[in-house]
Amino acid sequence: MLDLLKTLCCMDGPSGAEDVVREFIRSHAAHFADDIRTDAMGNLMVFRKGIKHPAKPVMLCAHMDEVGFIIKRITNEGMLKFGFTGGVDPRVALGRAVRFGQVKGIVGIKAVHLTTASEREHMPKTKDLYIDIGVTSKDEALAKVQPGDYGTFDSDIVEFGDGLLKAKAIDDRFGCAVLLALLRDKPPLDTWFVFTVQEEAGLRGAATAAFALRPDLCLVVEGTTAADLAEVPPHKQVCALGKGAVIPFMDGRTIYDEGLFDMLRQAAETQDIPWQTKHMIAGGTDAGRIHMACAGARTVGLAVPVRYIHSPVSTAALSDMRDVYALARAFLEGIAQSIE
Amino acid sequence: MNQIEILEQLCALPGVAGFEHEAAATVAKYLHPLVNKVDIDSFGTVTGTLICPVAGAKTVLLDAHLDQIGFVVTKVLENGFLRFAPVGGVDPRMLLGCEVTILTQKPIYGIVSCMPPHLLKSSEQEKAVPIHEMLIDTGLSHPQVSVGTPVVFRQPLVELSGGAVASKCLDDRAGILAILQALEQIDRKMLHVNVVAMFSAQEEVTSVGATAGAFRAKPDYAIAVDVSHASTPDAPAGETFDFGGGVMIGMGPNMNTAFAKSLMRTARAHDIAYQIEVMEGNTGTNAWGMQIAGYGTAQAILSIPLRYMHTPVETVKLSDIDATANLIAGFLKDFHGEVYPYA
Repeated sequence: MLDLLKTLCCMDGPSGAEDVVREFIRSHAAHFADDIRTDAMGNLMVFRKGIKHPAKPVMLCAHMDEVGFIIKRITNEGMLKFGFTGGVDPRVALGRAVRFGQVKGIVGIKAVHLTTASEREHMPKTKDLYIDIGVTSKDEALAKVQPGDYGTFDSDIVEFGDGLLKAKAIDDRFGCAVLLALLRDKPPLDTWFVFTVQEEAGLRGAATAAFALRPDLCLVVEGTTAADLAEVPPHKQVCALGKGAVIPFMDGRTIYDEGLFDMLRQAAETQDIPWQTKHMIAGGTDAGRIHMACAGARTVGLAVPVRYIHSPVSTAALSDMRDVYALARAFLEGIAQSIE
Repeated sequence: MNQIEILEQLCALPGVAGFEHEAAATVAKYLHPLVNKVDIDSFGTVTGTLICPVAGAKTVLLDAHLDQIGFVVTKVLENGFLRFAPVGGVDPRMLLGCEVTILTQKPIYGIVSCMPPHLLKSSEQEKAVPIHEMLIDTGLSHPQVSVGTPVVFRQPLVELSGGAVASKCLDDRAGILAILQALEQIDRKMLHVNVVAMFSAQEEVTSVGATAGAFRAKPDYAIAVDVSHASTPDAPAGETFDFGGGVMIGMGPNMNTAFAKSLMRTARAHDIAYQIEVMEGNTGTNAWGMQIAGYGTAQAILSIPLRYMHTPVETVKLSDIDATANLIAGFLKDFHGEVYPYA
């Protein structure tokens, strides 16, 4: 699963331009799928028959998109004015390398020598940022990129520290990797493996996927904010790397199903899988759409804690990834056991 | 090996001001085939000497600084986070989420840690975090790091469009490359002056490497090859120069006017693109110290236009490095030891 995750993180799929990721997942899933569908939004829905055949298949969900950039305008000097697709923290964009396909660029910030003291104390506004691809005229730039082109951070994979992985897009290629890994084995029950688009743009893809599939039960596999940093007070740390899978009870968009939450917690405790929950009610996942789709669906989540999420240096612990995978598997087994 | 590959290797050398010895050993190897002899002094300044066949010839010193801006670990916290201080001037606003290398015996990867934005009030997000409040995340519960360990940006070289590259420490590895390229074009036996190529330590703090080196070399002429600001949308137009506009030739009290004008004549004669950079006082370069080292030198500054100085993504156009190298080589080939002030 780790190799799969690394491959997925190196692919570019900002919200609205997930095509490369979708085609990769489709080609990997095809061998195991009993049915594959896409929809107008670009979601990928993969069905695999399981050992048991309940009235309705269970749904697993992860999103393919990542936070990124879109070119809005090109200046006469050949600089790219851009917007963020998804919630990029503009503070981490300054001075970073980005890419639009093969075309590399950097988010510029003038030399410190040319700043005033008060400028250095205030972050620049997003509308004042620009990307430099090395050219010096609009025509030169237009030969390389166009307004409307999507881009991502240009960030490699690093394993470092005590079993940590740094990459862009761990949120949520990790979830995609878990689903693809689970898909390789015949699931305990009929299962839809759903890879959504545009989660970062406002949980857009999950709305149509859930409407089409009308699940009764759904598990969303995600990356979630960890703020277990030195000098951050404990009540603001949210969750911590290396402390196990996060089973959220509530976030900004969803109160997760109590019964399913208990089932996951008990599975973790009986199988000795480290787990934690989120100590801050914030953010949202595709669950926010799915649990409200049609007549509603019982929805639960699992997440890997990620430091510096939505940045080129998002960082997660390999041990937490294994724990989430084990609990996702336990989820399918638990649901299968409960239907006789 | 092509130009970008050499630049990539030069930029990868760790050489925070005060910690240049490892980088010095490597650049000495590049210099070896191009000069008669190479020395490395106690500061880590590398000097290569080219002796011309003319007895009693004058000496021209070519200087580019070897050191780079960076950081130094000031405190090791219990949970694997490191407090740090800058070595050389950096803008704190581009440090959050920045990847760094901690230069322990076996280098350690680190990230300048950053609070998630949703845990901050919007007024807090608008404010820059001061460097003394920042921490490096090593991901290690017990990092074997001692206070005083240097830290550098990790950003590898990125090839941009239009013959431009972005990397850490192009300030002043681009200058080193320009000097190496110039030396490659020179035939020692055809020279009428001796040439000393110097890659000096600690420019970013005190210029001690260049001043001590100039004192030792006793040059009649010295050229500081450094970088200067190229225009960007957020920078004041009056203080920046054309990116891709060619080598910048400095003028002002720190520079010998006759020397500067001679360089301009060479540029015109060889059809080399150049721009005039007027600096009315302290140039903030090695030239400031070298000019008054010992009995003093006739000083010049050649600068390569560079964007985003002192960030991990300093950006230069290769054509500007070429223009700088070609001007140095063109000048030295014809130079008999006297400069003239006429236009």
